[in-house]
Amino acid sequence: MTIARTLVSAVAIGAAGIAAPLGAQTLNVAWSQDATGLDPHTQTAFASIRLLELLYEPLVRLGPNLEIQPAIAESWEFSDDATTLTFRLDPEATFHDGSPVTAADVKASFERILDEATGASARANYTSITGIETPDEHTVVFQLDGPNVPILNGMGSINAAIVPASAIEAGTVGTEIMGSGPFTLEQRTPNANASLSVYEDWHGGGIAYDGIEVSILPDETAILASLRAGQADFALLNDPLVATLVPRADGLELNTAPTLSYHVLQLNASRAPMGELKVRQAISCALDRQDILDAALLGEGEVTGPLTSPAYRNDPSTLFCYEQDQDRARQLLTEAGYADGFSATIMAANGEPPTAAAEAQLIQSQLAEIGIDLSIEMQEMNVYVDSWLAGDFDMAVALNGGRADPYTMYNRYWTKDGNLQNVANYIDDTLDSLMQEGRVETDEAARKEIFAEFERHLAEMAPWVWLYTGYTYTAQRDGVEGFEATPTGSLFGLVDVTLSE
Amino acid sequence: MSFLGALLRHGSGRIGACVIAVFAVAAILGLTGLTPHDPLAQDRLARLQAPGATYWMGTDLFGRDILSRLMVGIGQSFAVALLSVGLATVVGTVLGLTAAWFEKLWDGAVMRAMDVLLSFPAILLALLIVAIHGPGIDTSIVAIAIVYTPIFTRVVRGPALSLKTRSFVDAARTFGSSRRYILTRHLLTNLVAPLTVQITLALAWALLTEAALSFLGLGTQPPSPSLGLMLSDSRNLMETAPWMLIFPAVVIMLAVLGFNLLGDALRDVFDPRTRRALG
Amino acid sequence: MNYVLRRLLMFPLVMLGVSVFVFVAIRLVPGDAITAMLGTESGLLTPAQRESLAAYFGLDQNWVVQYGRWLIGLLQGDLGLSVTYGQPVSQIIMERFPLTLELALLSMLIALLIGLPAGVFAATRVERPSDLVVRIFAMIGQSTPNFVLALLAIYVLSVGFGTLPTMGRFVPLTEDPLGNLAQLILPALALGTAFAAAVTRISRAAMLDILGEDYVRTARSKGFSQSYVIWRHALPNALIPVVTLSGVEFGYLLGGAVIVEQIFALPGLGRVVLDAILQRDYALVQGVVLFIAFNFLVVNLIVDLAYAALDPRIRYGES
Repeated sequence: MTIARTLVSAVAIGAAGIAAPLGAQTLNVAWSQDATGLDPHTQTAFASIRLLELLYEPLVRLGPNLEIQPAIAESWEFSDDATTLTFRLDPEATFHDGSPVTAADVKASFERILDEATGASARANYTSITGIETPDEHTVVFQLDGPNVPILNGMGSINAAIVPASAIEAGTVGTEIMGSGPFTLEQRTPNANASLSVYEDWHGGGIAYDGIEVSILPDETAILASLRAGQADFALLNDPLVATLVPRADGLELNTAPTLSYHVLQLNASRAPMGELKVRQAISCALDRQDILDAALLGEGEVTGPLTSPAYRNDPSTLFCYEQDQDRARQLLTEAGYADGFSATIMAANGEPPTAAAEAQLIQSQLAEIGIDLSIEMQEMNVYVDSWLAGDFDMAVALNGGRADPYTMYNRYWTKDGNLQNVANYIDDTLDSLMQEGRVETDEAARKEIFAEFERHLAEMAPWVWLYTGYTYTAQRDGVEGFEATPTGSLFGLVDVTLSE
Repeated sequence: MSFLGALLRHGSGRIGACVIAVFAVAAILGLTGLTPHDPLAQDRLARLQAPGATYWMGTDLFGRDILSRLMVGIGQSFAVALLSVGLATVVGTVLGLTAAWFEKLWDGAVMRAMDVLLSFPAILLALLIVAIHGPGIDTSIVAIAIVYTPIFTRVVRGPALSLKTRSFVDAARTFGSSRRYILTRHLLTNLVAPLTVQITLALAWALLTEAALSFLGLGTQPPSPSLGLMLSDSRNLMETAPWMLIFPAVVIMLAVLGFNLLGDALRDVFDPRTRRALG
Repeated sequence: MNYVLRRLLMFPLVMLGVSVFVFVAIRLVPGDAITAMLGTESGLLTPAQRESLAAYFGLDQNWVVQYGRWLIGLLQGDLGLSVTYGQPVSQIIMERFPLTLELALLSMLIALLIGLPAGVFAATRVERPSDLVVRIFAMIGQSTPNFVLALLAIYVLSVGFGTLPTMGRFVPLTEDPLGNLAQLILPALALGTAFAAAVTRISRAAMLDILGEDYVRTARSKGFSQSYVIWRHALPNALIPVVTLSGVEFGYLLGGAVIVEQIFALPGLGRVVLDAILQRDYALVQGVVLFIAFNFLVVNLIVDLAYAALDPRIRYGES
């Protein structure tokens, strides 16, 4: 029932609108999709997360390069064997009602996340927590069932936000916003707008303006227009075709950062002939990733292997067949017994991402050159989702979400008990054991090597063909200074923004 | 044929017929593969190229020839329009005739059902039908047919009701002609004129509806060219590649114009009384 | 009076038909509110989560029960709760309808201001070059789809004047009348052009018909001036078909302009219903469609009654 409450909350909050005082400096922000709910533990939609990140705080936060930074916790450390993780909380941290954030709140929040009845979206990332101790008001100790390094990264998600124990008890999480983040939510009309005010006592420091007015403009060209017209000071853009128009307008500036999410061609290895390793490899060799990127995204992105997190990303040119090689592709197809090619369908979602149709057509055209005849099925998002979850496709164009830690990012697909194994449709012992090794390794360099090996193997087995990552785009008008874009597309950097005028 | 002659003597009829004929030729060339370039072939080195010697109307984001795509697009649009209007005509005529003939409960049921359909905005009704069945050319045809069936039902039922009471039908009935014979012989032949006019005008609407559906991504599916899809592709590129917008826009406009002119001319030819008025 | 009564009796019957049709149609669309909301992430839901969501969205009941509940609510004036907005459907409609109404009125105003004078003008100069020019423009206007016009308008504005219409945040009339007008003028022109063309053609035709009638000829032969005949006798009668046409067009415009609203990013009824279909927000789709159909039927009823009142010559058959 959590979502039910969330939805009801929207009504309650909407009624309590408060007008900003005269002369207040407001940052007008526009983006295209609204949050689908306000419970930080259950929301998965990117649109919800970027709003909640301004209202709530996790223990730690991921910085511009996904390095771990203090949030509610001012420091932390793993025990030597990586089986306990201790956090010291910032004594200055308070919820929006002024009450301090205590160890009891942290404990209650994680117990709520771990409670299956909550339906927390990232629960699986924290199931290795076996006990939570609170030796004093500002210290929390997590006992883990074994060495688990990725969990610290996982705690940097807003899905692990700390909410007041009292709100959990009262069952008001998601209906009443009571976070410890830099802003409070004053008013919200779903799919239209929201007003945020600066929380004056935020422990993270002062903010140079008074509040944020969010407008939801579903059309990206409309967002650009409102930037040009000065109706918006800052905007989030998704469509690269629109984003590249920003620098052409006087007084507007574009920020980019490579995303964690990746564009990928998913092959379904449970269906003939994609079950044949050589067929999959042929497809990987036949594609010119840079060319697809140049056409579909106007070159706005970077060719990538499976690992997209800045700390783990490798030069993709060393991976299997990252240079288009049609002769090799044809040879592989011939060896697999498909010298004359074959026919298959490729599924893509209508408008999700906006480049899906273009990618499908480019892939179709490139694979036609080695004799593979693809027919494109553009599906409405819901139909696509149903087919995707059921693994009911030959090939699928997808834009899949990424995480800062490779284990957290891929355990759902590439481990034997991953809960989206039926979507991945491919697993082998090497992948599974490398994932388990990466999970327990505490040494940074050794972890990097394990995941590099994982990446090499994945690219060579080619169950999917990783293409590229796009950029996250934000744009601002002159006079809005200090925003730093991040790979996750987080708008938390808005706290550092200054407004001139 | 005097009918065709009359149509061609009619000023706007002549223009309309010419426009449609030109498009029909383009469409046939397009559908038989006789286009200047392969409409699906992507020329990597000529993406977003302005109109020039090789590509007369420029290329799109994938380096595909706009002219060739327009030709095939017209073909597909015409095919969808013809088939959907054909379907709507047959179903609408049958419903209208039977409603007029049997009257009573059947008439009430049919006409109320048509009222229900008519109270939806056309595009909304088509949208719902497409959403149910999934987008594609066949769905577009059925959806557009359903949208325009009520109009044909009404067009047929009104005159059929009044014709039915006229003496020649009574006479036929007393002579023992079968119901089917009366329906087809007498009623239908008298309905040819209003139906022809309606069909021509409906073709114009069907073209528009198909373009609108494709524009929303719910009609023809890529990579098949379609006028609506080409327009929607041009939306975010119109500043860098205006030819992607202008040519499809002009083509849709002219095609609709052609059918409208033809429809008006047909109305005049069938009913000279209105000739001066609407010409 | 019999006719009016019959029309009024048919009204609830047709509305009932619309309600059944939209109820069934939206449920036949594949997917549901859960997958629409969560996308591929819905694959991570546990069965218990899925059940509680289904219960919340009212998807756990069979159709008959769902329809019954909805109908009972309707009869009490309750259109239900939108799951995507978390607001009563009636509230969403009341927030969005003013924009649609304003756009429809503005389009009609444009259509009448351009179409009526143009039609009358052409009729008085029939078969002369000026008549031909009007007719050509009317024909082109009627053949240009509104979304093509909308795109061309944006293009001309952005390339020719280096600016874009103020899209984005909608400015209500009450907040800033001028800003509101600046925002709606292009969409209204896009919607009003074909409408104006139709008004031109129908008013020209009606004028010609009437100018040829006996009583007008008589008036003219009695020495009344041309303009007196036109304004006093011909125009009032020529208005009848114009009123009918405008009413029907207006009824359609009240249903929202799906594509034009989409292009200009205006939050009107057309956009709401398109989004609601994509989100599988059953209550919202049902409510908005019913509202649109209701408006359309009411407007048409009024047009019919006005037609009957204006022109006593009309004798109604069965419908």
